[in-house]
Amino acid sequence: MMLFSRVRGLPVLTPGEDADRVGEVRTLLVDGAPWRVTQVRIGRGRLRRGAVVAWNALRAAGPDMLIVRPAGGPEEMPPQRELLGSRVLTECGEERGTVLDAAFDPVTARIEAVLTTRGELPPDPLLGLGDHALVIRSGAAHHGV
Amino acid sequence: MNGLTSVRALATLPVVTLGGDAVAHVKDTLFDTSAGRIGSFTLTGRTLLSGPLPRELPWPAVHCLGRDAVMVRDAGALCDLPRSAARRDAVRGRLLGARVLTDDGETVGTVLDVLVEGGTSGRLVAFRLAAQRDLVHGSRHRRHRVYVPRGEAVSLSGRTLVIPAHARAYVSDDLPGFTARVGARHDRGGGVAP
Repeated sequence: MMLFSRVRGLPVLTPGEDADRVGEVRTLLVDGAPWRVTQVRIGRGRLRRGAVVAWNALRAAGPDMLIVRPAGGPEEMPPQRELLGSRVLTECGEERGTVLDAAFDPVTARIEAVLTTRGELPPDPLLGLGDHALVIRSGAAHHGV
Repeated sequence: MNGLTSVRALATLPVVTLGGDAVAHVKDTLFDTSAGRIGSFTLTGRTLLSGPLPRELPWPAVHCLGRDAVMVRDAGALCDLPRSAARRDAVRGRLLGARVLTDDGETVGTVLDVLVEGGTSGRLVAFRLAAQRDLVHGSRHRRHRVYVPRGEAVSLSGRTLVIPAHARAYVSDDLPGFTARVGARHDRGGGVAP
């Protein structure tokens, strides 16, 4: 299990003897149904534009670095949302804090828990993530932090 | 959630789909006074300068009315507003500022605010009035902002709201007092005023 906050800032390398450094992880983008990490946004320094790499294009995701396949360049995918920092809203229209962090399985890329300012949420009650909020089912109980 | 919500507080609330996207903001709440509940919402765009949208959100399309957002299933819940109907309904269904009379013809005051039930009900529960002096209990120097329950019959003609005369028995100048009185009345099986 990995945390979004731990992955941020990790170096992204291409395999091989020279092990070129592509950049470092800025953030992970997620998509719903099933909830999983779909893309990695990579920062490549101040003067260069960032890149977005699909999670499937990674060859390995370790605790110290991500290794990307050489051919896995930026590809077109539907827009995904950033989970961290988004507002949490129940389907009854009541705010339930903001998302602080999320845990996911680095092999399957599935999200296993979402940590909010009001406690931890399993992935089942998540309904949708849009530009305004992460919508959850009303009955979803927060486990204490 | 079935708490009471003030209609003035609904203005500027975002309209959010279950997918988490904000599609509009609430501009005004229009009432269906014959059904005694919210009829529809008029909308503005999402940015400060975007102005009113030529669309409305009818109450049946609302998934849930909450404290922090009006939830809809998807963006298809908004429907285009026929231009001719827009202005007429806006005048007829907007209760704020309407003159309030009892059914024996006495002027009570004007409507400052309307309390509705949240959640999926949208029921009109009470009016907050700027009351005239003869409604006030106690000190004459108090501000006459009182709550009056909806009562059994509401009729609305133009910008005038008529409430039953017995509703005046439940007048209360604070919200907790009001909910207690109305609750007691419901417990007695909706009998007439004490």
